[in-house]
Amino acid sequence: MTADADGAEKQAQAGLTHGVGAQALREGTPRARAEAPATCLEVRKLNLYYGDKRALNDINMTIPEKQVTAFIGPSGCGKSTLLRCFNRMNDLIDDVHIDGEILLEGQNIYARGINVAQLRRRVGMVFQKPNPFPKSVYENVAYGLRIQGVNSRRVLDKAVERALRGAALWEEVKDRVHDNALGLSGGQQQRLVIARAIAVEPEVLLLDEPASALDPISTLKIEELIYELKTDYTIVIVTHNMQQAARVSDYTAFMYMGDLIEFGETRTLFTTPRRKQTEDYITGRYG
Amino acid sequence: MALSNLPHHISHQFDKELEDIRSKVLAMGGLVEDHLQKVLDSFAKGDFETAEYVAVNDYKVNALEVEIDSDCTEILLRRQPAAGDLRLVVAVSKTITDLERIGDEAEKIARLILNVGNPAALRNYYVGMLAMGHHVRRMLRAALDAFARMDSQAALRVAQEDRDIDSETDVIMRHLITYMMEDPRSITPVLDAVLSLRALERIGDHAHNICENVIYLVEGKDVRHVALEQVKQELEASHAENS
Amino acid sequence: MNDETPPDRGTGAWLRSGLPWIWLTAGTVSFSLIMVFGLLILITLRGMGHFWPQGVVELTLDSGERVLGERSDSETVPAARVRGLGIEVPEGQELVDRYLIKTGNRDVTGSDFRWVTALHVTETRHPESVFVAEREEWGNFYGFVEGIEENGEAVAVGGDPWPEIAARMERTQALRERIEHIEKDRMGSVNYELEHLRLRTRELELENAPADHPGYAEVAADRAALDARYEALAAELGTLYEQIGRDTLIARTTTGEVRKLSFAKLVRVFQPNAMGLGAKLVHYLDKAAEFVADEPREANTEGGVFPAIFGTVLMVLLMSVFVTPFGVIAAVYLREYAQQGTLTRIIRIAVNNLAGVPSVVYGVFGLGFFVYFIGGSLDALFYPEALPAPTFGTPGLLWSSLTLALLTVPVVIVATEEGLSRIPRSIREGSLALGATKAETLWRTVLPMATPAMMTGLILAVARAAGEVAPLMMVGVVKLAPSLPLDGNFPFLHLDRKFMHLGFHIYDVGFQSPNVEAARPLVYATSLLLVIIIITLNLAAITIRNRLREKYNAAEA
Repeated sequence: MTADADGAEKQAQAGLTHGVGAQALREGTPRARAEAPATCLEVRKLNLYYGDKRALNDINMTIPEKQVTAFIGPSGCGKSTLLRCFNRMNDLIDDVHIDGEILLEGQNIYARGINVAQLRRRVGMVFQKPNPFPKSVYENVAYGLRIQGVNSRRVLDKAVERALRGAALWEEVKDRVHDNALGLSGGQQQRLVIARAIAVEPEVLLLDEPASALDPISTLKIEELIYELKTDYTIVIVTHNMQQAARVSDYTAFMYMGDLIEFGETRTLFTTPRRKQTEDYITGRYG
Repeated sequence: MALSNLPHHISHQFDKELEDIRSKVLAMGGLVEDHLQKVLDSFAKGDFETAEYVAVNDYKVNALEVEIDSDCTEILLRRQPAAGDLRLVVAVSKTITDLERIGDEAEKIARLILNVGNPAALRNYYVGMLAMGHHVRRMLRAALDAFARMDSQAALRVAQEDRDIDSETDVIMRHLITYMMEDPRSITPVLDAVLSLRALERIGDHAHNICENVIYLVEGKDVRHVALEQVKQELEASHAENS
Repeated sequence: MNDETPPDRGTGAWLRSGLPWIWLTAGTVSFSLIMVFGLLILITLRGMGHFWPQGVVELTLDSGERVLGERSDSETVPAARVRGLGIEVPEGQELVDRYLIKTGNRDVTGSDFRWVTALHVTETRHPESVFVAEREEWGNFYGFVEGIEENGEAVAVGGDPWPEIAARMERTQALRERIEHIEKDRMGSVNYELEHLRLRTRELELENAPADHPGYAEVAADRAALDARYEALAAELGTLYEQIGRDTLIARTTTGEVRKLSFAKLVRVFQPNAMGLGAKLVHYLDKAAEFVADEPREANTEGGVFPAIFGTVLMVLLMSVFVTPFGVIAAVYLREYAQQGTLTRIIRIAVNNLAGVPSVVYGVFGLGFFVYFIGGSLDALFYPEALPAPTFGTPGLLWSSLTLALLTVPVVIVATEEGLSRIPRSIREGSLALGATKAETLWRTVLPMATPAMMTGLILAVARAAGEVAPLMMVGVVKLAPSLPLDGNFPFLHLDRKFMHLGFHIYDVGFQSPNVEAARPLVYATSLLLVIIIITLNLAAITIRNRLREKYNAAEA
């Protein structure tokens, strides 16, 4: 019962009108499905090659807006690779070739003439290991804005505070925003990195195993933060931790060997996966 | 997608724990079935000792329920199961509640029999239930078999039998009412018999629930409060889709 | 004690235990340490000892001859060798002790040193009244004070002449400073301006300016003014020279010869045998300060090495200014922008090998390319008025710095590349993910984090450059530079000037000076100074690097 009610509640929080009708459709199917929310990212026939090796096979999926979508799968299944396609981080790797399209609000981000820096401002990313710059907390958060040419102290002050509050870090660091960020704890650093990402007000937030290097309490704080950030951002998270995916996400994609095996609502995928590979993986069986 | 078809878990200990609760459920089912059988025997033979046995041994069923329940809690805690494993634990948890209720109903019937205290009365009012009782017992056995074999088709068939039980109950009920109308002095023992009849019918309902649990366990579909025909269609549809 | 275990003894067991390996490795480290510290200690002892006032001995030989001087060395030699020199040694004696006495008085005896066989010494005395005079010419004088003359007339000094001598030394010192000021600074700047005027005239001629061009008149006017200034200075100088030559010290050598020593030529006069510890210490510090802060005298064998220190440091600093940006930019291109492949690998190997090219080769290259080609072209283009005298077309500070920059640029490139490669990928990605371009990422994040590595490169470059001598001999270092490359005349830093260098100074004093024996302690002192300067430069760089590293350390770990 709780999963259902939670889901509906969250959707209501997210201000989605169709969330209200979630429980209405009880007849016909054992579990009523919520109407699909608006699409944020759409992946169409995406193939990715490292040299001759195909790392992603014909991926098709739609990532809903202002929801948390989790990618799970064994190591090397391509989930991080796929995540990094969304802000074209794979461009940095030599020898990578991509075909297919990813539409961000209808626009193909792999089209010619796309400004990659501009795209990355719209699609923020947080990495596995906290990677604050060796600068002050303030400068870390202001980094993205400074890049955009914002230098007004007043504007930056406001933005930094807003971002730090958004990342639930303000109370902990407000007295030392000018101290070196490397002095923060791992969990604080990761939230700082999230603050840094949301300071530029992206539409999408990509989280690449954001809690895998953190202790359980810090992990919970990050997860709590993800719940809160969902109101404003579309979040895509890659995680090794299936329980975490089950806890934080609304939709889950299971990938295996470069294939998208199954994609659906988290509660369905985690209770009644349609594919045996998914079942084997999430129940911890050989396969 | 039967559980037994799946490969082993990476953790063999987990396999063992799941296997453990399954076999405990089956053992509990066997025990409950045995109690039901004994109650039916006591109808047939007017044997109060067997009824007595059932009345005093229900604690074993209760003890098993508590034990399996705590095993389930432990698995939830330790393993955080997902998908089929999660459904197994949930189904087991529900099934043992049903089994415990069945045990209680059997105990109730046994106590009612002991109340009668008169083999003649027993023969008069209870023998009529014997056929239905056996039907219920077969149904329970079939439900436990379906559980043991993870056979959703069988479970669906068994669930459908619950309707026959209901109609049989109506017939017997009318029969018993005639007794009361004939002879007001028989009202007290007949009422006991009615209660026993109601208990048997409840056992049928619980067997039906167990079947629903099996369908949930195997198919991942919650079929409670859904018309069985529709369930059947859906199951056929999803099987066609998967294969 | 367990009886079952076989007795584990003997060499085999010892070898198996791994102990020999530990001994070998530890021994090697100890050996290296001993070598390094031995070197430093030797240089320090010899170098520091040089300024300590030695006692003066007066030896009476059996021939009746007397020798006065500092005992600078003693050795034991086979008697046959001494006999070969025509010195009598009794039969049966196999070994002879002999002393090397620094007798000074080169103007009297013709040499500074003399060997004395111990066997012939009948008496050794340490006369209190003996004095040593350091002179601007002819080396030290050892002898006894006879009297003082002022304008050729004896001055009554009473019992103790020393207060009088000290007072007159002071006066002479003050006059000498004034003379130096006039000669070097004021007349120097007049000369510099006159040279400018000459060049200006030449320029006008080259432009084929008509004879009535106003430039000529200006030049003539300026020249007249300068000439007047020069005359005034020359006159002032004349009087000063007259004044400074007033006093004379009358001194007698141990052999009884009397010499007149003009105060003007005396640098320092002291009585080593009469000095207490405190006086010796003062003398020592005075000498050491002179060594560091003054200019050399007597073909570099006396006086200080200040121009060499200055030249070395300035050259190294200039080299750092050239090499750092160049090396860093090259490394950034190689690591960040260039397509990583065979070509970059070849370039990297080439860069590494460049570091292994003997430095003399760089000197030759610097001479051919920088001095003759670039310098010559610069002269033809910008300084035609000075030709045929070259301005930049001759070895000088700029070319030396550039040559050493070229010599050390591989080190900076390699170190910077290493630093860039050590910056975690995650940091770059973090910046790129925020919408920074590659250049912004480099400039704002990667380069600041690589500064410790750049400093490491610079430290290595400085360490190498400060010690180089061979290439410098071809591209700008001279034995004696008339003026420092940094002075009060516009444009203050004269990149075209030649300069002095400690390394070359060591070579020059140690092997090229007329009096190698006398200069040897100076070689040690100069070496010590060079080592100290290099260590200081390195320590400064290391401190800066450690500061930077502290700032960025967590990210590097």
